[in-house]
This record gives sequence, C-alpha cells and structure tokens, in this order.
Amino acid sequence: MNATGIPLKEPAISAAAGDMEQLERAYIDASTRVPVLIFYTSAMAWLVLGTLLAGFVSFRLHSPDLLSDISFLTWGRVRPAHMNVMVYGWASMAGIGTAIWLMARLCRTVLRYPLLLVAGACFWNLGVLLGIGGIFLGDSTGYEWLEFPRYAAIILFVAYTLVLSWAVLMFRYRRGEQIYITQWYLLGAFLWFPWLYAAGQLMLFVVPVQGVLQSAVGWWYGNNLLFLWFGAIGLGTAYYMIPKVIGRPVYSYHLAAIGFWTYALFSSWTGMQRLVDGPFPAWMITASIAATILTMIPVATVGLNHHMTMQGYFPLMRYSPTLRFTVFGAMAYTVFSVIGVLISFRSVARYVSFTQASIAYSHLGLYAFFTMVIFGSMYYIVPRLVGREWRYASLIKLHFWASAYGIGLMTLMLLAGGFLQGADMQNPAMVFSESVQTALPYLRGRSLSGILLAVSHFIFAYHFGLMLLGLGRTSTVPTFLNPVEAETSGGH
Amino acid sequence: MKGLTSLFLGIFGTFAFSWVGLTVIPNWQIGHLNPQSDEEGTDIYPQPQSGMVERGARVYAANGCIYCHSQQVRADYAANDIERGWGNRRSAPRDYIFDRPVLLGKMRMGQDIANIGARAPKEQESPPPGGAPAPAVSPAQPSAASGAAAPPATRAAAASPATSPAPQKSASPAPAAPTTSPSPAPQGGAVSSPPPAASPNLSEAPWPMQTAGFPPMYSAAWHHVHLYSPRSINLDSNMPSYRFLYRNRRISDARSADALQLTGSDAPPEGWEVVPTVDAKCLVAYLMALNQSHPLNEVKSVGGAPAPPAPAGGSPAPSSSAPKK
Repeated sequence: MNATGIPLKEPAISAAAGDMEQLERAYIDASTRVPVLIFYTSAMAWLVLGTLLAGFVSFRLHSPDLLSDISFLTWGRVRPAHMNVMVYGWASMAGIGTAIWLMARLCRTVLRYPLLLVAGACFWNLGVLLGIGGIFLGDSTGYEWLEFPRYAAIILFVAYTLVLSWAVLMFRYRRGEQIYITQWYLLGAFLWFPWLYAAGQLMLFVVPVQGVLQSAVGWWYGNNLLFLWFGAIGLGTAYYMIPKVIGRPVYSYHLAAIGFWTYALFSSWTGMQRLVDGPFPAWMITASIAATILTMIPVATVGLNHHMTMQGYFPLMRYSPTLRFTVFGAMAYTVFSVIGVLISFRSVARYVSFTQASIAYSHLGLYAFFTMVIFGSMYYIVPRLVGREWRYASLIKLHFWASAYGIGLMTLMLLAGGFLQGADMQNPAMVFSESVQTALPYLRGRSLSGILLAVSHFIFAYHFGLMLLGLGRTSTVPTFLNPVEAETSGGH
Repeated sequence: MKGLTSLFLGIFGTFAFSWVGLTVIPNWQIGHLNPQSDEEGTDIYPQPQSGMVERGARVYAANGCIYCHSQQVRADYAANDIERGWGNRRSAPRDYIFDRPVLLGKMRMGQDIANIGARAPKEQESPPPGGAPAPAVSPAQPSAASGAAAPPATRAAAASPATSPAPQKSASPAPAAPTTSPSPAPQGGAVSSPPPAASPNLSEAPWPMQTAGFPPMYSAAWHHVHLYSPRSINLDSNMPSYRFLYRNRRISDARSADALQLTGSDAPPEGWEVVPTVDAKCLVAYLMALNQSHPLNEVKSVGGAPAPPAPAGGSPAPSSSAPKK
C-alpha cells in the first residue's frame, strides 16, 4: 500500500516475496496463461472484425448503395454477421477467458485439464467462423441472435460442453469452504447457458414450436443470453475486480445474496416486453413487463453494494485502468436496466418498439456494461499472464475515453432517433417514410460514434498485441493512468 | 456443502421457472392452433403455402429483410398500423401457424408488410402480362401502357399522374423521382388508405407515391423493380437494392415475359434485359402471399379487406372509417 491506497501489484514469481499466498496466486495465474490467452486473442480478432462489420452496417443504413451489388455484402447479411461476431466471437470468448481466470483464482487451485479449454477455444472459433460464413453465403436462419445455421450451432455447443465440463471439474478441485459471490454468478452463467442454448435450438430448429411461439422463444433466448450469460459474467467480474483493486471487502454479503437471487429470478422472466402489442397472449407480455420492473431490486442492491464498496475510493479511478473500466461498466448496468424499465412500459413501448431505441438498449447492455467490464478485467489479467505491464498509459486513457464517448454518443443518438422515429410513426398525419427520414440524421451521428469505437478498439488491439509479443514494460508496478507519485501530496 | 446444494438448486430452479413460464406454458396455450374454417369446412384460413413461397421465406430470412420490415399489425387502440393501411385487423397467433421461420420482425426502417400481398392490385397477383413490358419501358405513356393491361389493376398507376402536382415531371424519362410532392399534403389523418385509387379522394396519395412508368404498386412486377432499384420508385428510400438477385442477359429473339420494366439509368443497354433469378421469383411469390386480410373469429376486423376491394367504383372507406369511430 502506498500513499494513494492502491495496492501495488505483487511481484511475479519470486520466492523472495516470502508470502505463500502471493506465490500461490502467481502459480495459479501462470497455469491459466495458455487457455486464457487463447480465448482473449481470439476474442480480440473477432472484436476487430466485428468493428469493421459494424462500421459497414452503420454507414450502409444511410448510404444504401455502397457495395450493394455483391450478394454476401448486402446489408441484411452483414448486420447479423456483425451481431453474431460480437456476441459469440468477441463477448462470449472474452467473457469465457475472464471467467476461466476467475474460476482458477477463486477455486484457489492451479488450472487443471487445460487441453479441454484449448480444444474448446478451437471449436468455438470454428463454430463462429462457420456460422459467419453461413450467414454471408445466405444460410441465416432468420431468428435474431440465433442466425447461425445448424452446423455451426452444433460445433458451438460442442465447444461449450468442453468449457462447461472443465468448469465443473475445476469446481470439484476447489480449496476452501467459502464460495465467493463471483463464483455464484459464474456458476450460474456456466450452467444457464447450455440449457438456454439447447432450449433455443431445440424449440426453433429441431422440434420447432408452432407459429408466433418461435418468435417468443427467440426473444426469450436473446434476452436471457443478455442477462443470464453476459450479465452474469459481467456482474461476477465486477464483484471481483472492484474489491480487489481497491483492496477492500465487498460492503455487504447479504445484499449480494439478495441481488443474485432476485437477478436470477426476475431477469430470466424478461424478454416478452419487446413483443408488446404483438400477436401474443397479453399475459406473456405483462408478465415480462412486471419482471422488468422487478429487476430494479437486483439493480438497486447490486448498485448499492458496489457504491458502498467504492465509497471513499472513487478517486482511485484516476489511476487504475481496471477500476475505471469496471466502475463505468457497473454504472452502465444501472443505466441499462433503468432504460430497460422505461422502454418496457406499454405506453412508451408503443413508441419505441419498432425503432432504433431497441438497438440502443442492446448496445447499452452488451457494450456499455458487459464489454467495458471485460475490458477492465483484461487490463487486470493480461499483465499477470504475460509477466509484463501495459506499455503506454496514454493508450489506455485513449481507449477508455474513445469507448466511453463512443458508446455514450451511440446510445444518445439511437435513443433520441428512436423516440422521434417512433413519435412520427405513431402520428397518423405523417407519411411513414417521414419517420425513417427523421431517424436518418441520428443514424449518421451513430456512424460518427462508430468511428470513435473503432479507434478505441484498434488502439486496444494494438496494445494487446504488444503485450502478447512480450513488449510490455518490465516492472513490478502496474501501469497507472496518471503518475501516482506526483499525486501523493494531494492526499486522499 | 449445504450451501452448495442450494446454490445449484436455485440456479436450476430459477431458470426452470422461466423456461416453463415463458415457453412451455405458452406452447400449451397457443402452440397447437388449427386453421379456422366455417361450418361447411370450407373457407379454410390460413392454409399451407406453396414450395415457392416457402423458399421465398428462406430468401427473405437469408437476406435479412427482417431487420427493417416487421410483419405484425398492432391493434387500433395501440397504434395506428391499421390506419396506415397496413392491415384491416390486428395480427393474431393463428395467422402464423404455417410460417417457418416466423418473421415477425422488430424494426420498421421500412413499412410493415404483413399484408403486402393483400395490398396488391387484384388482377395482378400473377406475373405481369406479357404485353405490358414493351410500352412500359417508355415512361411517357403510362396510362396507355397500363390501359392495355387489366384495367382495374392499373387504377393506381393511372391515378397518380393525374394527381401529381407536376405532370411534366412524371412524364419525363428521368429516373422518375417520386418528388416528395408537398401537394398531397398528409392532412387529416387518412394518409395511408391502401387501396390507392379506390379512395375517391385522390389527393390522399399512399406511400410511396406512385410514379409514371412503373407497374401498379405492390404488383409482382412492381416488387421486382423495387427490389432491383428501390430509389427509382422512391427517392428517399434507404432500402438496399438487391441486384444480385437479378441477371442481365442479352435478348435472344423476344423480350422475355418476366423481364423487369426498368426506366432511366437503371434500364439495361439496348438489346439486353434484366430478368429475375429463381430466388427473386420466390421472394416475390412470398411477398405476394403475405396476406392477413381474411377475417378471424378471435379478432375484430376493421372495415373491408386491406386490398383494393375487387369491384370498381371504390368502396370509399375500408380504412378511413377506422379513425372516425
């Protein structure tokens, strides 16, 4: 502990440290090195590809004639390709990478059976690759978030089974009686995902349900993927990183338990509110709206818990990249949930349900919350895997601000554009095409935000590449965003 | 260890609760609907679709039409979908029992097309008459061209040049700008009335405005031109063009019947023609089959069919009656 209260990173494997616990951690970190880096590296490659596709999608929406004569570059194929690359390529792989590392750390045992994970990563990449190829070639299934054709879905499932069996095995080797909150979330995510994925695949493709229920299953799947897979990993990661970086225990274990169980119970019932006024029994939609409102309970408890943990330590966000990204993500989780509640009320949903606002909502969840938390965890984990520190504090700062402003701008643009578009659509005096015209300037603004996000991702990919090549700094002190020594006199 | 068991049970229990509640119970409730028929067992709706339509649905899904077009009409108390002429009643689960995949859609960067087939001119549901293409290439005489074809079908085409504020514009061979003309001012609510010409009040032009030189709106031939070159029909459209679903080919002896009626800069060079591929034909067959105008017992229909009602003389108020009450 230095004057700023930031616990300096423990030295790498050195017996001189004398501290058994630190030595043990270093061993565990070293054992996770290969599998986690494989997942991270693949995720970064998908992130870069997904970013390029996103730019293409965004520009094409207001300049539709760009390259439109080539079948596999038609907008309606690039858009699902972008979405699936981000969801299954980037977010899932990076999330699994972080989850592996956290599992090993929290089970306090060196990583066993690394081959399961390496094979899992290979299969996962293969599945995403085939799936994207299938979408480009016109094999998309037409269900949002489940566009991958069946051959890709099966491979993805095999990959997932490998990862899951590893997680179960690891859990059995764990030491210590206590199961930390993060592990609840991770176990939940690991166990929910296969059921969710299998249920989605079975009910849509193997023994398809009839008619509109396919849409219901599709939205149930999409929403639960967002909450029970990404959300659970994101929250679990935040519960680990925030206390870890500031060196202080979580404020309340009781709150954490309430937050976890209400989260599992209520957020899994959401999803149908996106189908408001559609051809469904009204009770389904009403139940989901009620569940969405009830998700305010976990949001409040989790938010309060994080806030009380951080109380008095917020200035540390000036120094620690991990903390800055993670706290941003945790706050975005609150914003995401509140907006989710607002746009689920029937009176509001009528205006926004067929507009860009729903895109804003999913980007808030998947990017502002989940991706930012994962970025934060990568800033913490990668140095411990490669034995080097991040090379440039300036690049980290640039990454953060470009991401934060980018996603902020994108959310504002899509929400504003969506609301205005919806208002025009609900105004019978307006010709329909005017509602689209109304949204277009905001879509151009969104393209602008996309440039910011692309910059941030390329910077991060470059920085990550340097780390991977062993070009990071050799130092026992982590890379802080701002020089710590100069600030110590300020005293907090 | 006790904590661990309850953790696992809780994780499974919460999820099972959601799975049963949101997928299994609804499946039990509306997962086994039958088509509706009258007492004699005739007039069955909905009916399974032809293979061409099914393949068209796959083309629709594969090319991501769903990301901009919804296929669900909301009730009149919730939204003005019906007032816009997108249907004459709200969509019901029974409408979709033969659909696979179900393409409800979540976004309206383009209009709702749950009833796009019902909105086609009645006589035009089959491919365009072979005679029509030749004159239609020259946009100068749209009424003559369409007059030669089935008369009731062409009312839309014939009507709008007349209403167009700038007749010289519609006659010009330029890529037929729809000229977001301010004159058919979207006043008074009833913008949409889908039977374009059926409505006696001609100033209520539908979207997109019908311009000269094109096949009647929402006819199969119109869909082909629209898919090939959306902005030739509506300058403001941001729909991508789907030219890759069409082939340029040299005319061997006579223009083929299904060649596209293109004008202006889209027209192929002399001696060439643009013809749809099988996928394009299936896609259009699918679009023409989208029709929820058949009444269902469980939902209240508003007015008549959303399509131009068959007899001439324009039943004045299929949809304009809706907002009044």
